[in-house]
Amino acid sequence: MATPFEVTNNGTETKLLVRGSLDINTAPALAAEIDKIIGGKPTKVVCDLSGLDLIDSSGVAALVKLYKGVRSTGAEITIVNARDQPLAIFKLLRMDKVFNL
Amino acid sequence: MAILGGMAATIQLTVPGTLRYRSVAVRVVAEAARLVSGSVQRDPNDLLDNDVRDPFDLAVVSAFMEIFNNVAIHAYQRKDGGLIDIVITAAERELVIEIKDHGEAFDLGGVAPLPTELDESSLPEGGMGIHIAKTMLDEVTYEPGPPNLWRLRKRLPAKHVASGRS
Repeated sequence: MATPFEVTNNGTETKLLVRGSLDINTAPALAAEIDKIIGGKPTKVVCDLSGLDLIDSSGVAALVKLYKGVRSTGAEITIVNARDQPLAIFKLLRMDKVFNL
Repeated sequence: MAILGGMAATIQLTVPGTLRYRSVAVRVVAEAARLVSGSVQRDPNDLLDNDVRDPFDLAVVSAFMEIFNNVAIHAYQRKDGGLIDIVITAAERELVIEIKDHGEAFDLGGVAPLPTELDESSLPEGGMGIHIAKTMLDEVTYEPGPPNLWRLRKRLPAKHVASGRS
């Protein structure tokens, strides 16, 4: 199975690209990566969901962990390009407003 | 327009009750949803495509994923050895999925509601699965067993336009 996420850093911005299915099977690996991202004390994080096809509540929990973790350091985070099923889930949970999707 | 032509189809599937087999079950459910919705995948030859853009398909798949997670985690407590029996009835304008397990019963009444006002501080990090399933579907019922039985129902809206069809 392809890694469902990719992290890049250009010195000013950390970008997390999530793809495929972010679910109960794949979210734990992302959660570990999120710990590393937050531990790196980024100033700005962009979470790009353009490649994300499916998400479940475990995947949502991982992204909430990212959002809260980054914000708790005072850093900026934006979540972009949510579409289709993931966007429907964020809207259902009313997180689209909090995440500015 | 749905593609069943007035006939109901019953699909039965039994999988081990662990998360390893979740994606197998999800793909079968997604295909059954497409039978009812009439939607078409972006690439029908790509069996690994998680394409559930159609509102009917995504509601069914989203809810089913949460209930499968619930069974594997709460009924079978992430242990091997149990089975999940899935019976999908795809009719002209609705899909019914029965999910049966022989594990621990789940306390559906004990699920806490999500916060009514959501902001940055109240973003939930758990307890969302049952809420997703109930909100996405027309009907979610649970009968504690043994066997425990989840019954999920989604009706096709009258004005549904299947995605992917011209």
